[in-house]
Amino acid sequence: MTATTMGRARQAAQVTLLVVLVLVTAVLPLLLTGEQSGGRTLDPADTSLNGSGALARLLEAHGVEVVRVETPGAAVAAAGPQTLLLVTEASFLNRDAARRIAEAPGDRLVAGAVPHLDVLAPGVRRQGPVRARSRAPQCALREAVRAGDAYTGGTSFTGPPGATGCYPADDGHALVRYTADGHTVTVLGDASFMTNLRLAEDGNAALALNLAGARPKLVWLAEPDDPDEAGDPGAGADGQARSLGDLIPGGVRWAVLQLIVAVTLAALWRGRRLGPVVIERLPVVVRAAETVEGRGRLYRSRRARDRAALALRAAATDRLAPRLGLPRTATAEEVAVAAAVRTGHDPEPVLALLCGPPPGDDTALVTLAAHLDTLERQVRDS
Amino acid sequence: MALTGRAGLLAALAAIVVLLAPEPGLVVLAAALVLVVLVAADLLLAGAVRGLRFQRDGERRVRLGQSAAIGLVVDNPGPRRIRGVLRDAWQPSAGAAARRMTLDVPARERRRLVTTLTPTRRGDREAVAVTVRSVGPLGLAARQRTFHVPWTVRVLPPFLSRRHLPARLARLRELDGRHPALVRGQGTEFDSLREYVVGDDVRSIDWRASARRSDVVVRTWRPERDRRVLIVLDTGRTSAGRVGEAPVPGSGPSGWPRLDWSMDAALLLAALAARAGDRVDFLAYDRAVRAQVSGASRTELLSSLVDAMAPIEAELVEADAGGMVAAVLSRARRRCLVVLLTDLNATAMEEGLLPVLPSLSSRHMVVVASVADPRVAGMAAGRGTAESVYDAAAAERLRGERREITAVLRRHGVEVVDALPEDVAPALADAYLALKATGRL
Repeated sequence: MTATTMGRARQAAQVTLLVVLVLVTAVLPLLLTGEQSGGRTLDPADTSLNGSGALARLLEAHGVEVVRVETPGAAVAAAGPQTLLLVTEASFLNRDAARRIAEAPGDRLVAGAVPHLDVLAPGVRRQGPVRARSRAPQCALREAVRAGDAYTGGTSFTGPPGATGCYPADDGHALVRYTADGHTVTVLGDASFMTNLRLAEDGNAALALNLAGARPKLVWLAEPDDPDEAGDPGAGADGQARSLGDLIPGGVRWAVLQLIVAVTLAALWRGRRLGPVVIERLPVVVRAAETVEGRGRLYRSRRARDRAALALRAAATDRLAPRLGLPRTATAEEVAVAAAVRTGHDPEPVLALLCGPPPGDDTALVTLAAHLDTLERQVRDS
Repeated sequence: MALTGRAGLLAALAAIVVLLAPEPGLVVLAAALVLVVLVAADLLLAGAVRGLRFQRDGERRVRLGQSAAIGLVVDNPGPRRIRGVLRDAWQPSAGAAARRMTLDVPARERRRLVTTLTPTRRGDREAVAVTVRSVGPLGLAARQRTFHVPWTVRVLPPFLSRRHLPARLARLRELDGRHPALVRGQGTEFDSLREYVVGDDVRSIDWRASARRSDVVVRTWRPERDRRVLIVLDTGRTSAGRVGEAPVPGSGPSGWPRLDWSMDAALLLAALAARAGDRVDFLAYDRAVRAQVSGASRTELLSSLVDAMAPIEAELVEADAGGMVAAVLSRARRRCLVVLLTDLNATAMEEGLLPVLPSLSSRHMVVVASVADPRVAGMAAGRGTAESVYDAAAAERLRGERREITAVLRRHGVEVVDALPEDVAPALADAYLALKATGRL
């Protein structure tokens, strides 16, 4: 008895654990992704707080042509000597794409936590993370000085020799500009000053306009609609597919392998039978009434009212005959006459009931059965 | 060998370590190695199942509807304790209770486990296998082995109609020698002479005996005894049909075979006839003799009858009435009461029994007992809708055929008992008592 109660308690605990686990796995991703709801970050076509629609409009108002591209291939194709290529943290880049962008003509503006910085801006090194806040330029860069205080930070950099650094943070600068091979490359630690949310603060708008509007044409590499197409196999000759596998950390694959091992072991555990399957020769199960039910259904499907009425009348006659003191061999007419005499009815309807023509429809058959019952009851009670 | 859930759990936990570790590939390899080593160690340290010895004890016979406890002694001669589970596998309809039992036998000791059987149908139920799974000390892996430990439990017919026996025995005593009759009637035989007491009928005085002794002596009479009753059970296809509601739980929703109801009636009749001093023989026949009991003593009759009945199943063949009559005639040389338990199936009877019936009924008193189907009676009472009236017509047609065949049988001098499943045993017993009272045996 205690063993079973213990077993039940254990089972209940297991079920509870399972339910909690399912709930946690279901709710956790929702909590984690809940903060990033709405809008595509730093997208010139997006007007939400995270987007940069306002900056794009301002640039166009100042006569700068803004070309929004989603793939590195398109960005390289749109770039020319008189263009500025804007790469933000929202741009999807793998190493090859970064290399191709680095080889594209024109200037580059790299804003935010962009991967492969060593390719995009060789010589610029990350110093460390710093808090993003409003900072003073404290440098000789004209764009920054004219803009004044701006919301910068994120990462501090040190540039290569000859580079200009603005908005000092910790040991480095939040903005570094240098010129190499005829390209002017500007690196910013944080890109949020270009979003619709922050554009109106301090000198953010001025800084953004000064940096992004430096050339007549701005190629803006935005976040693609569908991340799977980021590799733009159609645009580049050497399609740089960035599959799901590139996004998964290396440890996950091994963990999945280990999980497969675990599931296999569990399958072996559940699959091992405790002894053989026991077989037994069982007797056939036939309900004795099956033939009668089958005959009833056959009568019904063929509308065999004549046979049905015959059977019902014969049964009633057989039951009535001994009650009326008649021998078993008495004909239906004799029984009908005797029944009419006993009950005091006219002989005609009783004769029609017991040996009349077969009923014309199902309703008549049901009525016939009911009348036969009534006659039997009357004879019994008389 | 068998693994446990712990092995899988351990591997799943290792997956978390793999996810967090800097060198996941190495961790996977290490986890696999550790697991293999642990499982191997567990298998080595688990109690050996190969040398286990088993012994069974308990009941060999059980009535259907009752439970039997079968003991299984597990003897562990090995040097290590055996912990784990044991499955004592029986055929499904044996209704073995504990599907798997926990087993804990210390080294060089023995333990007794009990399996409770609650069979759901008649017949011989066999123990199929005993499987032992001995789990290692870590609970990761187990040694497993299946043994054959034979035991058979014969499930006997329940003889539910024995509750009708006291009333029938009381009726029998009224007829019987315990109330010796002074009037000679039909079906009575001479019992004894005794002294005249005031009130006795003077017509029963035996003057010759009175002359020999110096006292007035009367004759007493009693119902005839030492008649032979041969119960013939038809095990052909018509006896397989299920009727009524099974009185034993677990037999399924479609009722009990006619065969089982017939056995119940046969047992009541046999018990009654044995008490009445008649000799009872039994024969089960479809196309060959399936079982028979003959010449059993009064005390052993019921036990040998249920033993003979227990393994009989309805065969799905048309019964051979000619062969059955021949078998009866070869067994019953003197005039006796032949009770034929079969179905009043018009077509089967007309082709089978009726042509050969005269050879039987001319030499013996024949009673045909049949189990009617309450479902047919229910269908015959159906009214109101066209469907139920059509069903009622079909049912009435069957009942008409049964009435007809009953009339034909009665014309052959055969007694017919046609009753619902619960009533067929007492009805047959009453028919027997009526025959006995009127001396027609």
